[in-house]
Amino acid sequence: MTAPADALEPVSRKRTRHSWTFSIGLILVGLNVAAALLSLVWTPYDPSSTAGGRLEMPSLTHLAGTDRLGRDVFSQIMIGARIALQVGAGAVAIGAVIGVSMGLLAAFASKWLDDALAAALDILIAFPTLLLAMLVVAASETATLWSAILALGIALSAIVGRLTRILAKRVLQMDYITAARTSGTSWPMIVVKHVLPNIWPTLLVNFALQFGLAAIAEASLSYLGLGAPPPNASWGRLLQEAQSTVYAAPFGAIAPGLALLLLVIGINLFADGLRDLADPTRRNSR
Amino acid sequence: MSLLSVQGLSIRTGDSELVSDLSFGIEPGGRMGLIGESGSGKSLTAMAITGLLPGDIVASGSILLDGQQVVGAGEATMGRLRGVASAVVFQEPLTALDPLMRLGRQIAEPVRRRFRREGLDPRNIESEVLSLIERVSLPQPERIARAYPYEVSGGQRQRVAIAMALACRPKLLIADEPTTALDVTTQAEILRLLDSLVRDLGMGLLFISHDLPVVAKVVDQVTVLRQGRAVEQGAVEAVLRAPAQPYTKELVQAAQTLDRALGGVR
Repeated sequence: MTAPADALEPVSRKRTRHSWTFSIGLILVGLNVAAALLSLVWTPYDPSSTAGGRLEMPSLTHLAGTDRLGRDVFSQIMIGARIALQVGAGAVAIGAVIGVSMGLLAAFASKWLDDALAAALDILIAFPTLLLAMLVVAASETATLWSAILALGIALSAIVGRLTRILAKRVLQMDYITAARTSGTSWPMIVVKHVLPNIWPTLLVNFALQFGLAAIAEASLSYLGLGAPPPNASWGRLLQEAQSTVYAAPFGAIAPGLALLLLVIGINLFADGLRDLADPTRRNSR
Repeated sequence: MSLLSVQGLSIRTGDSELVSDLSFGIEPGGRMGLIGESGSGKSLTAMAITGLLPGDIVASGSILLDGQQVVGAGEATMGRLRGVASAVVFQEPLTALDPLMRLGRQIAEPVRRRFRREGLDPRNIESEVLSLIERVSLPQPERIARAYPYEVSGGQRQRVAIAMALACRPKLLIADEPTTALDVTTQAEILRLLDSLVRDLGMGLLFISHDLPVVAKVVDQVTVLRQGRAVEQGAVEAVLRAPAQPYTKELVQAAQTLDRALGGVR
């Protein structure tokens, strides 16, 4: 047997598990999740109780002030966090399942089916997400939280589908796919073992961005009166209710806006960190 | 029965013929070199043997691999042949390995399929993977098994790729320019490794290269391809000593000139 002349290059075992952005993202998303879970069992005040003074400024008794009916804004924001996370997670889950399936189908399909699917996805993407969501909500008999989730999920699936198709096609052209084929790996195994793991880091970041988009879209739908109906305290509805008193009590609009902003920033930072963890070639890059 | 029998193989796309009327055969344990410049159709021939030509490229003629007709065979037939009758080592060892999978797991994939096929105990997969890594003369098998492709050198990656091909226990090993992407020292080591493995395991070898001296080290028969046609075939010594065709003469002369030029520095 021959002795290899090339020595083993140093394999770094020290891995940067955390980065600043990832930690901040984790804290922001964690706070939202904690607030949402806590709101299931406890809020500082009954969110529909009008016992407080009207349009109070933030204070120790009312952390985010009160609205024009004297309801505690902080309690409503906690419940709003639940809705934002629910819509984000639900829409991304629906978008991911439909989108990844369609994208993989297109990547493996014969040319004409691929072209047809790609064209369908492009047409779907050409529709503004919010307009598409409004159409679906308007078409459903009663506007519920679930019709908003379904609507956003379908809109997101087009973006996920197109991304999956392109990523999968690129991976399928790689030598290691041919190598796997020549050693007798079946197509389903190639998808599970090679295609999905290699497109996953990019998809994951995209899912996180979509999560933020879905949260914003839900707020927009609620703001327009098409989202979760009352008494669901969606952040969009809080914004809309605070609109009439925005000059007298600007904090009523700032508070839910700030909550939405922090959630979306947190998710994006969290996504960047996740991508670095999911991709071993990036782990040591910091 | 021949291990591989290629008869009148033509490969075409649209109107252009990429390989024309190519015939050659490999007996069990035999070693054939397929030589030619880039674009001569040698890699296409390898892909045709594994039934993996791109969709718009069509093969005609006959390829009998381990007694099975490959030309026009369906996915089911090819699925039974790939890995069992043949396995391939590719030119570029970095891209031939999945960048996101640990090397040990990549080798374990074909091992698992063979174990299932042969009804062996799956608990021995891990020790088989480690012994394969040792078989291709890699140091510290446990460490290599845990490493990702980017963490080891080019020569080590090619050894891992060879280990993956060996994991299938193929009857025919197809090596498609396996040393082209490597430096000269590593090239010589990989050639010695392939040579000893093919001999020890009794595999047939189809060695594809543009480099005549490299091929001459590991095969006993050669087929010289030019623009998709076989211009010369025969025992490697005979072809090297007395090339009959002008093209082969050029190849031999080019190799000799290079050898002389390198003579001073070696």
